[in-house]
Amino acid sequence: MTFALQFLIDVLSLGGAYALMALGLVIVYGILKLVNFAYGELIMVAGYTLFLVGGSGLPWLVMAAVAVLMAIVTGIFTDYVAFRPVRAKSVTAVLITSFAFSTLLQNAALLFISPRPRNVPLPAAFSQTVEIAGVITPVRNLITIAAAVVLLGVFAFLMRRTVLGIAMRAAATNFTMARMLGVPANLIISSAFAISGLLAGIVGILWIGRIGTVVPGIGNEPLLVAFIATVIGGMRSLGGAVLGGFLLAFIDTTLNYTLSQELLKFRDAFTFSLVILILLWRPEGLLKGPATGQRT
Amino acid sequence: MLEVADLEVRYGAIRAVRGISLAAKRGELITLLGANGAGKSTTMMCIAGALKASAGSIRLAGEDVTSAGPETMVRKGLATVTETRDVFPDLTVSENLMLGSYIRRHDRVGVAEDRERMLALFPRLAERSAQPAGTLSGGEQQMLVIARAMMSRPKVLLLDEPSLGLAPAIVDQIFEMIGVLKRSGLTIVLVEQNIAKALDVADRAYVMRLGRIAASGTADEISAATDFNAVYLGG
Amino acid sequence: MSRHLLTIAILAGLVLLLVAGVEALGIRVFNRIATNLCISLVLVLGLQIFMGNSGILSFAHIGFMGVGAYTSAVLTIPAQMKGMALPDLYGVLQGIQLSPYIAIIIGGLVAAAVAAVLSYPLMRLSDAAAVITSFALLVVLHTVMTNWSNVTNGPRTLFGVPRATDLPLAAAVAVLAVVAALAFKESRTGRLLRASRDDEVAAGALGVHISHLRWRAFVLAAFVAGIGGALWGHFITSFSPNAFYLRETFVILGMLVIGGANTVTGAVIGTFLVTGAFESLRAIEGALNSARIFREQVIGVTEVVLALAMIAILIFRPGGLFPTREIGALLARKFTKRKHAS
Repeated sequence: MTFALQFLIDVLSLGGAYALMALGLVIVYGILKLVNFAYGELIMVAGYTLFLVGGSGLPWLVMAAVAVLMAIVTGIFTDYVAFRPVRAKSVTAVLITSFAFSTLLQNAALLFISPRPRNVPLPAAFSQTVEIAGVITPVRNLITIAAAVVLLGVFAFLMRRTVLGIAMRAAATNFTMARMLGVPANLIISSAFAISGLLAGIVGILWIGRIGTVVPGIGNEPLLVAFIATVIGGMRSLGGAVLGGFLLAFIDTTLNYTLSQELLKFRDAFTFSLVILILLWRPEGLLKGPATGQRT
Repeated sequence: MLEVADLEVRYGAIRAVRGISLAAKRGELITLLGANGAGKSTTMMCIAGALKASAGSIRLAGEDVTSAGPETMVRKGLATVTETRDVFPDLTVSENLMLGSYIRRHDRVGVAEDRERMLALFPRLAERSAQPAGTLSGGEQQMLVIARAMMSRPKVLLLDEPSLGLAPAIVDQIFEMIGVLKRSGLTIVLVEQNIAKALDVADRAYVMRLGRIAASGTADEISAATDFNAVYLGG
Repeated sequence: MSRHLLTIAILAGLVLLLVAGVEALGIRVFNRIATNLCISLVLVLGLQIFMGNSGILSFAHIGFMGVGAYTSAVLTIPAQMKGMALPDLYGVLQGIQLSPYIAIIIGGLVAAAVAAVLSYPLMRLSDAAAVITSFALLVVLHTVMTNWSNVTNGPRTLFGVPRATDLPLAAAVAVLAVVAALAFKESRTGRLLRASRDDEVAAGALGVHISHLRWRAFVLAAFVAGIGGALWGHFITSFSPNAFYLRETFVILGMLVIGGANTVTGAVIGTFLVTGAFESLRAIEGALNSARIFREQVIGVTEVVLALAMIAILIFRPGGLFPTREIGALLARKFTKRKHAS
């Protein structure tokens, strides 16, 4: 029983983080068909912002809000300076641009900040543990679960109940038709990048909270996680991304508990092989997205 | 109301539309006839702002809108029903209609009124308002896209092949609706394969061939003077 | 035909000119840079064979470079050193010690074989699915290299690889790669593949088996990458799995994109330009660091500049410097035009 609870908390907290990471990637992919390699760097930006405002003496929540805001701004900014000018050219050109931009941001951090880890301010709760029914678990796991529940709820409400959300879902299936009804393309695209930045910023703070420091490559693992989760769940389905995140967390946690130390090292190889197999079996992922989409 | 002059549209090196001119006065219904590949839909998409014109001009209510994007065209009063009957399949009928009124979303009262009017005009949609649009039949989807286009309160409506692939009874219904819309004072540009029906409702007609206007005149003149077998079978 | 020969002559001439120039100068640093350039050229041409003809971005390429490098290393590290360099090596392999020249070719073959087995089912995917799977393949290969301690010494540096690559060898292989890339481009497979890139539906209608064509290009590309990796291994003599990951992918991709992925000329020119710029920037970086102008080490300038250059090229000249025609065809055209004019 204790073990079951432990396992559940592990899967839910990891899965919550994974689901948010995947959602932030897939919201942009769904609308622009752009696999954004620079997504992980939004997490990095949030981390370094937190580091830079660390000495300001502001309340922590304000600092965290500033960090999330910077991630949002960076998301919209990358779209304007890098993706928009190449979007009409080819899918491959946009992909390479996003890969180049990812490298650009990481190396800018190396160059202007430091290759060494930097400490970020965190509230005391992040390092405390709590006992629930005999299971000792870090408080930050519970914070992650709570944040995931709230964000997923807000996100679902936004996409189902607001005009903007419905317009975004429409644009994901048929961008041109949505524009012919008067939905401005720029608003939709910038909103997608803003939501992507918001999710990356919040999940970034939670992610960095596990280790307490930020390095230039901090976004690499979340990016990989988001890739796997979206591929498992369905690259064009928002629900699929969430499902994929939790499924991946379940697989990872199970492997953590069952694989021997020797084999555990190959965990990424196992999960990525799984990705390849799933794509072969169902190139669209487990959940099919809306009917064929068009690029602008 | 709508004036197109010397319009040319290219796909890469291919000139799909090669300098055509047409005009529709306020409240007029003009129809664009011609074989597949004559450039009718390309012309429509270009007027709607979804394709760029490589030469020529488009004027709407006297204003030059040649380079306006699709979202601007709607705001200027032009709504489009595409040939591919583009409902948003995952959104409900209500949500589809709501997006139709996107540009006037702050006018809640007006939107609600229009919605009631459309649902009265197309009672089948009222019954299915909570259903995803992808589950509707072809005829119902056609009604939905027309109703959705009307939700923006357009001055000009572009209708591309509204009868395509529909059962004769539904086609009659659709044309009846087009008649209703025309009588309400709307300016309509209609592309149709069903020549008889199109000439029946139209005031004037243009016949397109290989990207050019081959003939134009009142609907009666065109139906009397044009050998449609030659136009459609390329004779 | 003559314009293809002209292209080969010009591109090979460029490589030979480089070798002659460096040998004449006799400066060791230049020799190292030129050898690295030739090895990069092999890798870039390998990537061009797949990307240029199929139009699909592949991230897995550098993984196959790693396969080639480790294969050749394991087969050539002297038996008496193996106990130290690879303490957990399987018994069968412990006694083997081949000539590096044979091992380099085996490195290419093993990379091609691994690619042939892994990639066949992947080749029917396109767009985002193809890119993500190729990325996944890179991660899988990297994870295996990092953790298969018996063969790779794990994440630690593998040392003791005999030095066998010098400038003439690297240049010769680079010239061969130029010829191979051009020959593949003009082969039936290459032509069909490029036709399919431009219009997938039409090529499918002609009965062309696109995934099979892509697979051939991918295997050939992996073979070239494996050779390139093995050459590099025998030049640098000690390396770790991190050499075959995202940074190297970025550099090789940058060279190809800047030059122009669709042409062999683009691959060659891109390699020369980026290597030149990289080495100058690295020299500046080194000078800044040794002068201790800044409190911290200056690193990352080269990548920042390359990334900016790539984005600029994609915005202003999306096909790269040589987007469609090879240098030979360009010159031949100019020549005939002038003849017509006179």
